[in-house]
Amino acid sequence: MSTETTTTNETSTDVDQRGLVDRLTASPFVSRLLSNRLALAGIAIIVAMVVIALYARLFLDLDVITQSQLGTNPNRAPPSLDFPFGTDGQARSLLPRVAYGAWYAMLFGTVTVAASTVLGVGLGIIAAYYGDVTDNVIMRTMDVLLAFPSLLLALALVAIFPDDLGLWRAVAALTLVYTPRFARVVRGAALTVLENEYIDATVALGAADPRVLVRHVLPNCLAPITVQSTLNFGLAIIDLAALSFLGFGAAAGTPSWGLMLSNGVSQGLLTGVWWWSFFPGFFLALTVLGFNLLGDGMRDALDPRMREAVD
Amino acid sequence: MISTRFVLKRLLLLVPVLVGVASLVFSILHLSPGDPALTIAGERASEEFVRQVEESLGLNDPIWVQYGRFLADAAQFQFGESFIIQRNTPVREVLANKLPVTLELALYGQLIGISLGIPLGILSAVKQDSITDHLTRIGALAGISVPIFWSGPLLILLFAQMLGWLPTSGRISVLYNVEAIRVTGLVTVDTLLAGNWDMFVSAVRHMILPASVIGVYSMALISRMMRSSMLEVIRQDYMRTARAKGQGAKITVLKHGFRNAMIPVITVIGIQFGGLLGGAVLTETVFAIGGIGTLLVEAIKVGDYPIVQGTVLTFAFLFTLVNLGVDVTYSVLDPRIEQ
Repeated sequence: MSTETTTTNETSTDVDQRGLVDRLTASPFVSRLLSNRLALAGIAIIVAMVVIALYARLFLDLDVITQSQLGTNPNRAPPSLDFPFGTDGQARSLLPRVAYGAWYAMLFGTVTVAASTVLGVGLGIIAAYYGDVTDNVIMRTMDVLLAFPSLLLALALVAIFPDDLGLWRAVAALTLVYTPRFARVVRGAALTVLENEYIDATVALGAADPRVLVRHVLPNCLAPITVQSTLNFGLAIIDLAALSFLGFGAAAGTPSWGLMLSNGVSQGLLTGVWWWSFFPGFFLALTVLGFNLLGDGMRDALDPRMREAVD
Repeated sequence: MISTRFVLKRLLLLVPVLVGVASLVFSILHLSPGDPALTIAGERASEEFVRQVEESLGLNDPIWVQYGRFLADAAQFQFGESFIIQRNTPVREVLANKLPVTLELALYGQLIGISLGIPLGILSAVKQDSITDHLTRIGALAGISVPIFWSGPLLILLFAQMLGWLPTSGRISVLYNVEAIRVTGLVTVDTLLAGNWDMFVSAVRHMILPASVIGVYSMALISRMMRSSMLEVIRQDYMRTARAKGQGAKITVLKHGFRNAMIPVITVIGIQFGGLLGGAVLTETVFAIGGIGTLLVEAIKVGDYPIVQGTVLTFAFLFTLVNLGVDVTYSVLDPRIEQ
C-alpha cells in the first residue's frame, strides 16, 4: 500500500514540475474552452474591460472626473465629438467617468468574488471533511442565508455597516450573500473527492487534516470552483451596481456605473437625457455578458455531454 | 397524487429554517448602527422622553428577552408599528397594502418568462446547433447580463418618451382612484371587478413595460435550463423506444420529453422567484411603483426598523413557500422523489 502511494506522489511532483503553459494546453478542458467561439468572445470582452479599467486607473485624473466642471464644459451636452458620451448635470464628461467605472467594477467585483470564494471553499471543504455536527452547523447556517432572495439579503446586511464605508459595505454584504453558494458547490464536490482511495491512503500515511484538505481535496475541486467564480463575477458586478443604484453603495460623485444609472433614472429619464443611462449601462451589461459567456463556455467544457450532436 | 405526509414533513423542515431566518433578521437589526428610540423621539427630544420610548419599546430588557419576544411576535406576523414611513400604523397593515403591488408585478413577469422561456428552450434543444439555437442562446445570455436598471430606463426612453406609446411610470393613470375600488389590491384584477374598462386598459398599459423587464430576465433563465434539460432527456433510451414504436417526433418530445425535462426547470423557476423579488425592488424603483420593494429601500434609508423586519421576513417567507411549492411539484412530476 505504501509503495503505491509513493509512486502516486512521485507522479504528482512530475506534473507539478512541468511548465504551467504545457499543463494548460494539455488539459482537455482548456482546449475545449478555446475551441468555443462564444467563450473566446467572453475572454476578449473581459480583457478589453481590464485594459480600460487599468488605463482609467493609471492615466485618468480622478479629481477631474469627480469634481463639478460647471463653467468649463457645457452642461447636459448630448454626445458630440468633444464629449463622445455627452456630459452630466455637473458638466462632467461621461466618457472618462464610464471608463473609470470599469476600474471600480473590476476592483470591487474581484474582491467580492475572491472573498466569497475563499470563505465558501473553506466552509464547504470543512463541512464535507468533518461531517456530522460540523457539517450540520455549517450547512444549516448556509441554508438560512439561502432562504433570502439574494439582493434583499444584501440590502438588509448593508444596513449593518456604517455609511462611510461606501462601496466596501456593498462588498461586505455581497460576500456574505454569495458565500453559501460556494460552500454548497464545494461541499458537494469535496464529498465526491473524499470517496477516492487516495484520500484514505493519505490519511493512513498519517497526513494531518490541513494537508489532506489543501494538498489533496482542494486541487480536485478546482474545476467547479472556477466555473462558479466566473459565473458569480457577472452577478457580483450587477449586484454591486444595483446596490449603488438603490443608494447603498458608492458615495455621491463616485464614477460607479450603478450610481451613474441611478442619476440617469432619477434626473435624466423624464427630461429625455438618454446618454446618462445608455453609456454606463451598456458597459455594465457588456462586462457582465463577457463573464457569462466565459462561465458558460467553462461549464460546457467541463460537461462535454452537452456538446454532442443529437441525432 | 400529493401525499399529505410528504407536504407535512416538508412544512416541519421549514420551521428551523424560518427560526434561523428570523434570528438573522433580529441580529442584523441589533447590529445596525442607529438608535430606534432616538429615531422615534426625534433628534431634539428630551433625555427623559427618549428613555420613555426605550422603555415602551422594551429596549431595556435583556437581549434574550427581546429575542424571545421577537420570535413570538414574528410567528404571529406582528412587527409592531412603523416608526416613520406611516407613523403609528401597524407594519402588518402597511405590508398588506403594498404586498399585492409587488406580487402582481412578479406574477406577470413570471408569466411572460414561463410562456416564452419554455417554448424557446424546447425549440433550441430540438434544433441544437442551428441558427435558431444560437440566436436563442445568445439572446438568453444577453437577457441575464442586461441589468433591469438599464433595460428599464431604455424602454421608458424609447416607448414612453420618444414614441409616446406607453406611460412612463406608476400603476395606473393619476386620473383614476384605485383605492376606491380596492378588493384584491391587484390593480388589473380590481379594475376588471369594478367593470371599468378604461381603468383596466390604463392598468394594463402601465404593467407592460415593468412586467416585460422582469419577464425577459426570467425568460432567459428558464429557456437556458429548459434547453439543457431537454438535451439531456432527448438522449434517454425511453425517447428512442417511443420513436421506434412509430410515435412522431413532435409527440415524443412534447409527451415524453417535456414532463421529464420540466423537473430541473421547475427548480430554476423556484430559485429565480427570489431573483424576481429582488428584481421587483429594482423595477419598482425604476418605474416609480410603490410596492414592498421601494418600501424596504426607503425603510432602510430612514431607519424604520419594524418595516425593515417585516418586509425582509415577508420576502424570505414567500421565497421559502415558493421553494416548498417546487418540492411538492417535483413529487407530482416524479413520484419517486417522495421516497
